[in-house]
Amino acid sequence: MSERVVLHRHLLLGIWILVLAALGFAVHRSLVVTSDLRAFMPPPRNADQKLLLDQIGEGPASRLLLLEIAAKQESFERIAELSRGLAQVLRGDPHFTRVLNGEVDLTTLDPALLPYRYLLSPTLDSQNFGADFLRDELQQRMEDLASPAAGMLKPWLARDPTLEMLKLAQRWTPAKTPQMRDGVWVAPGGGALLLVETVAPAFDPAAQGMAIEALREKFDVLPDSKGATLEISGPGYFSVLVNANTRAEAEWLSGIGTFAFALLLLIAYRHPGVLVSAALPIASGALAGITATALVFGPIHGITLAFGFTLLGVAQEYPLRLLSHRRAGASAQESLAGVWSLLRLAIASACIAYLAFFASGVAGLQQLAVFTIVGLIVAGFVTRYLLPAVLPPRFHDVAESVWLERLRLKLDSAPRLHALPWILLVLAVATIGFAPTPLWQNDLSALTPVPPKLLQRQGELSAALGSPDVRYLLVLDAADTDRVLTLSERISPQVEKWISAKIVDDVELPSRYLPSLATQRARQARLPDRAALRVALTEAEKDTDFDPGLFSPFLDDVEKARGLPLLTPKAFAASLLGARLDTMLGERNGHVLGFATLSGVHDASALANAATQLGDGVRLLDLKAASESLVADYRTRIGIALLAALTLLAVAVAVAFRDVRRAWHVIAPMSLATLLVLAVLRVGGVSLSLFHLVALTLAAGLGLHYALFFERRVDDPAEARRTLHATLVCVISAVFVFGLLATSSVPVLRAIGLTVALGVAFHFCLSTIMARNSQHDR
Amino acid sequence: MNTAAPSSPPPAELAPETAALVASLRRPPPADTVYAEVRFVHVLRRPMVLRGELHYGGAGQLGKRVDTPYHETTTIAGSDVRVQREGKGERSFSLDRAPELGVLLSGFSALLGGDSTALNRDFIVEAVRHDEDWRLTLKPRSSALAKQLSAMIVDGRGGEPRCFTLQEADGDASTMLLGDLAKAKLSDPPTREATAKLCAEFPR
Repeated sequence: MSERVVLHRHLLLGIWILVLAALGFAVHRSLVVTSDLRAFMPPPRNADQKLLLDQIGEGPASRLLLLEIAAKQESFERIAELSRGLAQVLRGDPHFTRVLNGEVDLTTLDPALLPYRYLLSPTLDSQNFGADFLRDELQQRMEDLASPAAGMLKPWLARDPTLEMLKLAQRWTPAKTPQMRDGVWVAPGGGALLLVETVAPAFDPAAQGMAIEALREKFDVLPDSKGATLEISGPGYFSVLVNANTRAEAEWLSGIGTFAFALLLLIAYRHPGVLVSAALPIASGALAGITATALVFGPIHGITLAFGFTLLGVAQEYPLRLLSHRRAGASAQESLAGVWSLLRLAIASACIAYLAFFASGVAGLQQLAVFTIVGLIVAGFVTRYLLPAVLPPRFHDVAESVWLERLRLKLDSAPRLHALPWILLVLAVATIGFAPTPLWQNDLSALTPVPPKLLQRQGELSAALGSPDVRYLLVLDAADTDRVLTLSERISPQVEKWISAKIVDDVELPSRYLPSLATQRARQARLPDRAALRVALTEAEKDTDFDPGLFSPFLDDVEKARGLPLLTPKAFAASLLGARLDTMLGERNGHVLGFATLSGVHDASALANAATQLGDGVRLLDLKAASESLVADYRTRIGIALLAALTLLAVAVAVAFRDVRRAWHVIAPMSLATLLVLAVLRVGGVSLSLFHLVALTLAAGLGLHYALFFERRVDDPAEARRTLHATLVCVISAVFVFGLLATSSVPVLRAIGLTVALGVAFHFCLSTIMARNSQHDR
Repeated sequence: MNTAAPSSPPPAELAPETAALVASLRRPPPADTVYAEVRFVHVLRRPMVLRGELHYGGAGQLGKRVDTPYHETTTIAGSDVRVQREGKGERSFSLDRAPELGVLLSGFSALLGGDSTALNRDFIVEAVRHDEDWRLTLKPRSSALAKQLSAMIVDGRGGEPRCFTLQEADGDASTMLLGDLAKAKLSDPPTREATAKLCAEFPR
């Protein structure tokens, strides 16, 4: 080989690597990765499903974090102190809209908004601030001063003698609250309980992560927090945790996998240069895939990237085929030309299979389809046209291996088990049909699997805290925000009856936080002017011993309240409570929706019945029913898409072969192996989710390769050995890499790993039996 | 922020004579006594004067009835507090919502039970004697209670407590005159000095 050729080869390799590096740098600089998990949920088909997706991501119930502070060595008094300390610092933190720990907190209203208490509290609906009312109130305050409550009341007395702030604080505290000890909520296990609501929606793990980080930091700097632990639970925390766990475990497992794969390549091809050769096509495909996806969709979802790299695993076979099929006396180009038509067919077939994801209509899956299809095509074409030119000239012809020939002869002389596939088919179909567990995972939350232990803890904390039911939601629909609040006020008396009838423990209506403008206006109109109030107050004070002039802050606040502009959700939103109200309001198609959370649903059918009597604009949303209908739609769509893909695949293979019988020998083992994997999963009690479908598709893509190459007619035993070698390297590496994932503690990784590893093993075995049958039958 | 640590220092044993004094206060339940209470509250022009009866029904069982100037009955059983006010129905709440109050009432209970160990656990106890007269000064160890209550003072003569005074952290105070002393004539309006003088001849 001349020096010019060597130089040319090195130059090409250098340029290739440089281009990849440049592209990688550009992608890294401009890539926007999103983390809203809803992109991987089925697209909503009706109003309820739309609401469902909004609510599970952004609704008030999804923003709650449940906290427990525990310390083995400490008295509860110390833990209570920590609970108070944490609540105090969190109330000043912009990440949180609400912090509850059981303390009666009279400062829940923003100090600037204090005069608004007369418009927010219902007192003026039934009273006016006349002498009789005030006399009675002042008399009670005298008595309060001699009672155990004196300490709490004294600071507020002058400004708020009618205790409007206390009434509001009680109104804004959930009806059913945990047990109290030392002034704070206590868990059955002895820790202190807190409930905090984040500004960030649950399905934005990045924003949730920041809130949780802030939470931990605030806790850690509290005095005496060293000996105590802070336990966090809730949907938002889980999304952060699952993200982090999945990433960490995937990274470390794929680290081992890559190392083992590299080792396998070195053993199989006995040249360190193969590592670069094997990496270049997949790196090119991945970068091209990301670039194409970014160009089409803009921001890319984190899961698209993760799954995309997984599915691109098929492309790992392309360079391996080239490496295994190199033979003495022929250039790499010439060696590859022999198998290229088959490889091209394999690429086209895999692309067709991945098209099913595009047809699913799920935004995240469509991204995945673009990513993988572009990735596969690019990886295939660089393997064909670029890689042969940069391969090192020295290589080891794998056909020279003696053991390979022995294995080939053994396989050839193995008994032809013609009946076996049919027996397996019957068994698989029976198992799939008769397995007792549901075929499909109907629970949407299975898309973001949380370890059962954590879910159980969440259930315990949630029960202890009486936090809102995640299944039911009352939806109020009106033309604008104020009409939603009016509607909320209108149904409030009926809803109160539900509570007294013990149908539910509590219903949190938006008007609990902010009355409608009309109600505020009416209350404002009932406030007396300063002169009239002073006369009434002087009259009322006659029978008491309060210092004269003590109540002038009260006179000031009432006077201020008379002139206040009415409080709108927009103006209210700047305060903590307003931010809370904001999470209870949403907009859809020019309408405003109000959401009321329900706690402690005791009688679901009575509730559903009662809800229908609330009149127009109000309905009870059963999130579970909506989610199940959504998943049912979803699986129908994906099922149809996969069937269509399979049909298209069969047609493509038949057309390429121009022989239906040969196509059958390729498609049949692939389909049967997929059924077998399904059967094994069903026997193991696994219900299918999106992850299994992605994994099955990948396994089928790999299986197609095995079948295609086994079916290939070769008269030269050396070439047959090369085919066997390539397939063995592919199978061993795939089984190892995905088998490793199957050992993961993260459910998603385990599902993918197990399914692919099983699939590859089945595809390989069935291909050797069924696809090779083709040659012998001929 | 109160600088006192919440539950420290570790209480030492009470002096024997102080412990003996506390033990002598033990009342076998049930025990009732009339009282006159004078409350000095800074937002009021004149002190409040309440009269009624106190009830002790054993550990954790306390009752206070107000007869004048209004009718109110407060009963405490364990951590359950019920307040019945004439014309207003009954309100109840848990002492757990007002932990500092719980400490105060357990102190009260410990005094009536003559339990010097329990008293010493929650309060720093000091005793002074002068002939037949004596005074116990109890200062809360809990910082939460100390934010509200500076001291609880019991004045007595012989084996009988005569006065029960709470000094609140904001300067307000209340004194309960017990038993026969409840019938003593109060100055009009009552002053802190005159009330203290009724209780004991100690320099305050």
